[in-house]
Amino acid sequence: MKRLKKFFAVFLVLLIPLTGCQGGDDEAASDTENENVVEFEFWSAPNPTQEAFWKSMADEYMKENTDVKINVSPMPESPSSEAGIQAAIASGSAPAVSENISRGFAAQLAGSEAIVPLEEFEGYDELIGNRNMEGSIAGWEFADGHQYVLPIYSNAMLFAWRLDILNELGYSEPPKTYSEVIEVGQKLKEKYPDKFLWARADLVQPTWWARWFDFFMLYNAASGGANFTSGSDFVADRDAGIKTLNFFNDLNENELVLTREATDPFETGMSIMMDIGPWTFPYWAEKFPDLVYGETFALSMPPVPDDVDPADSKTFADTKGLVIYSQASEEQQKAAFDFLTWVYSNPENDLTWFEKTNLPPARDDLSTNDAFVSYLEENPQLNIFAENIPNGTPAIDNEKFVEIQEEIGKEALNPIMKGEKDPEEAWDDMVDAISGVLK
Amino acid sequence: MNKRNEKLGWLFASPYLIYTLIFFLFPLLWAAYLAFTNWNTIAPEYDFVGLENFFNAFSSETVKAAFFVTYKFMLMFVPIVIIGSLFLAFLIHSLPKFKGLFSVGFFLPYLASGVASAIVVNGVLSYNSPFNEQLRSIGLDVDWLGSPILAPLIIALMMAWKFVGYYALLFLSGLESIPKEIYEAAEIDGAVGWKRFWHVTIPMLYPSFYTVTILAVGLMFGIFTEPYVLTGGGPEYATHTWQLEIYNQAFEKLNAGYGTAVAIINSIVTFLSIYIFKKVLEKWGAKHGWE
Repeated sequence: MKRLKKFFAVFLVLLIPLTGCQGGDDEAASDTENENVVEFEFWSAPNPTQEAFWKSMADEYMKENTDVKINVSPMPESPSSEAGIQAAIASGSAPAVSENISRGFAAQLAGSEAIVPLEEFEGYDELIGNRNMEGSIAGWEFADGHQYVLPIYSNAMLFAWRLDILNELGYSEPPKTYSEVIEVGQKLKEKYPDKFLWARADLVQPTWWARWFDFFMLYNAASGGANFTSGSDFVADRDAGIKTLNFFNDLNENELVLTREATDPFETGMSIMMDIGPWTFPYWAEKFPDLVYGETFALSMPPVPDDVDPADSKTFADTKGLVIYSQASEEQQKAAFDFLTWVYSNPENDLTWFEKTNLPPARDDLSTNDAFVSYLEENPQLNIFAENIPNGTPAIDNEKFVEIQEEIGKEALNPIMKGEKDPEEAWDDMVDAISGVLK
Repeated sequence: MNKRNEKLGWLFASPYLIYTLIFFLFPLLWAAYLAFTNWNTIAPEYDFVGLENFFNAFSSETVKAAFFVTYKFMLMFVPIVIIGSLFLAFLIHSLPKFKGLFSVGFFLPYLASGVASAIVVNGVLSYNSPFNEQLRSIGLDVDWLGSPILAPLIIALMMAWKFVGYYALLFLSGLESIPKEIYEAAEIDGAVGWKRFWHVTIPMLYPSFYTVTILAVGLMFGIFTEPYVLTGGGPEYATHTWQLEIYNQAFEKLNAGYGTAVAIINSIVTFLSIYIFKKVLEKWGAKHGWE
């Protein structure tokens, strides 16, 4: 017994340094020189550019507000940033505020009361007004009527077209309707049998996030951005959905799509159409300098069914934003919100963001505000992204968005691209499967 | 003296004991509890759901897929890696010089990042890679990662490439430890060439073979990176592993309770599979008098 006691004593002594290794932040937090200082953690996206932006913003803010201390650090990203946030919440070490939150993930967080509604903060309307984002944020309202996310950037996903090859085929601009796209594809195959209209391996995979960049781009275009779910109800536009699936079916029947993994198919001219976000341009500038906007490639909104006006085309908005976590104290939450209000009260900060990241700030006036005009003139390929921010529909706000988007692939898109189902049957199977998920 | 030694023993073992307690025992108990709840890792409240997660897992198509895919990988990977590493060990063993250098060289893939090697393989097998262009020029158009038969084989080969050098080291240490006197005695008895190989080398390598087989079998239950990067578990769940299922459920669909139940089922299946293999190998060794 004595020996056992001694062993446990030694055991506990050895535990002390181990426990001492943890909770450094807590110690730091309680060790503030001035008790009136509010200290909070800010998690930036796990990439150096965004981290640098937020660090510089926090430094500037702290110069003006000496009673606030902001610790900016990148969010853990192993195995994914979402998993890192989950782990932090589970272990009670969530930050006060973080960026890099998609609407779908926000729905999961909101469903578990892990984040707080932003419209309840004093000064919310002022923030939205100052940043000119009433239109952009409207689509972010959740089914419960709250606004949990402040969108930072919004990429209205577009299609890039190889203008040089289109010119060879006798076209001066990208096709805008389904029948025009199929016609271009048929002409392409006649002239270049080895080329494809679109190379996208994900079309035959049930990968949930891939649906944002194929199905939802085209469904939003066909339906005018109609909701897919509302709360726990499936409310998608059946007519637009079937037309969308019909288009995919036509692409498959005409053998216009390569559904195998390929390296840079668009850049090498193997395919002439690709879904694109502005993050691609720095890569092209470095690796494919021959791709010049207006010369070798053009950008367009997703094509629409023949009976829809192309001017009404909508698309998927790849957009992420900031959330404030409920684990933070009310004082920290308020301090975090005040910091965000300060950042977005000055369009120059959005311009700095745009220049550093190439991600269009989620503002309604991006293409008209003087602060951005010269930058967009220097980068015309970004202008069309800026113009279409109001036409971007964010991801569905349902906690089960992963399962829902998996079912779109498994029941509808994948079998259509494999020639296993007709569009109506695929749509109905998908609806049944999604209804099962939403129960 | 004995008491002092005993204390010293406990003292030296205590860092590992503490480590085990914090990072294995406590999480294990927590996981066992979590498997009976519907917690999603972020909600402040959750319910106790009894065995529901386990029943759901047993009726899940993706869990069934993971179960069978693991054995499919095993059938491909274990023979390839054992034959490959054995061959490599003999090759290095027969070298007159620079054995260490070659051992380290073949061991390097084991240290390579799974993500990096998966990206390289993806590039090599892509539709417009020079390799596939060449194949198409002779009339062969192979969809490597889109075939339910070829995709798991590609992943098994990738993993074999990664582990062959590591297992070869184990075989090499076994080969190096066979006393020369045994070979001399066998030679006197007329065992030369293949006879010597089958009747002396292989039996003497049995402990290494046993170790490598058990390690290789165990490895099959922990595959994640390669299918995650290369195929996402497809095509048609042909490369959907236990770890992918656990990750998808716990971290993508936020079904942490269910994911933990799957992890526990995976642990039990792993334990039973390794135990059966161990018993089979022991019986086989005993039958030939190699133990």
